[in-house]
Amino acid sequence: MRKHRWLATLYGRFPILSRLSVGRWSAESDELPWSPARIPLAEANIALVTSAGVHLRRDEPFDMENREGDASFRVIPGDTPVGDLTITHVYYDHRAADRDVNCVFPLERLREFAAAGKIARVAPRHIGAMGHILGAEERRLVSATAPAIAKLLVEDGVDYVVAAPG
Amino acid sequence: MGLIAREIERAGIPTVTLSVVRAASLRSPAPRNVFVPFRLGQVFGEPGADVQQRAVLADLLAALLHIRAPGAILDLPYRWKRSIFS
Repeated sequence: MRKHRWLATLYGRFPILSRLSVGRWSAESDELPWSPARIPLAEANIALVTSAGVHLRRDEPFDMENREGDASFRVIPGDTPVGDLTITHVYYDHRAADRDVNCVFPLERLREFAAAGKIARVAPRHIGAMGHILGAEERRLVSATAPAIAKLLVEDGVDYVVAAPG
Repeated sequence: MGLIAREIERAGIPTVTLSVVRAASLRSPAPRNVFVPFRLGQVFGEPGADVQQRAVLADLLAALLHIRAPGAILDLPYRWKRSIFS
């Protein structure tokens, strides 16, 4: 989706619109990277990655002034109380997630799965990033941010990643 | 989101990516895509709806093991404010 605030708002209010768009299967799907899932969930260390603009209250907010977005990311420790989290993002209506961050970043649900033995553990570090990245910021996302996120998750021995938008 | 997921996948970690805009997943697919017809800002469900959020998260985790074709989209059977989660 392009970075148009009105369009994002429209999609948010009328989700059916997304189905009216004509999708095209991108040629790049032939070149999608692929890592086979090899271990059961009950043995897996799992991390969340969100582009909903979630970050620790004490961290610097994302830059909402740059029209090309903000390609930086924030680390969210796995044991963070959800009350320590906030959302900086003006391209979607996050009032529901302000009340319950699990609407976009289900860290508490993931912790419940670990407590119930459905997964082995919650990763030590999760990732908060932004959607609606364009131009130079998109190039930064590709060349620097995404590889840095991947490296961090590999360092933490993460087995699987659940990625979600805002 | 697909872009970050692709980079993580390239580094050797299997990823699954949730979407509420199906056309966006078609245009720029992640390695494993799961579509749910929920609203932006409530992609895992409504505030305080733990059971609903748990269902979507559990389906995403299951999709990690079940999707075997790169770029495939799994459509979840839920309807916004119409499916019963309990």
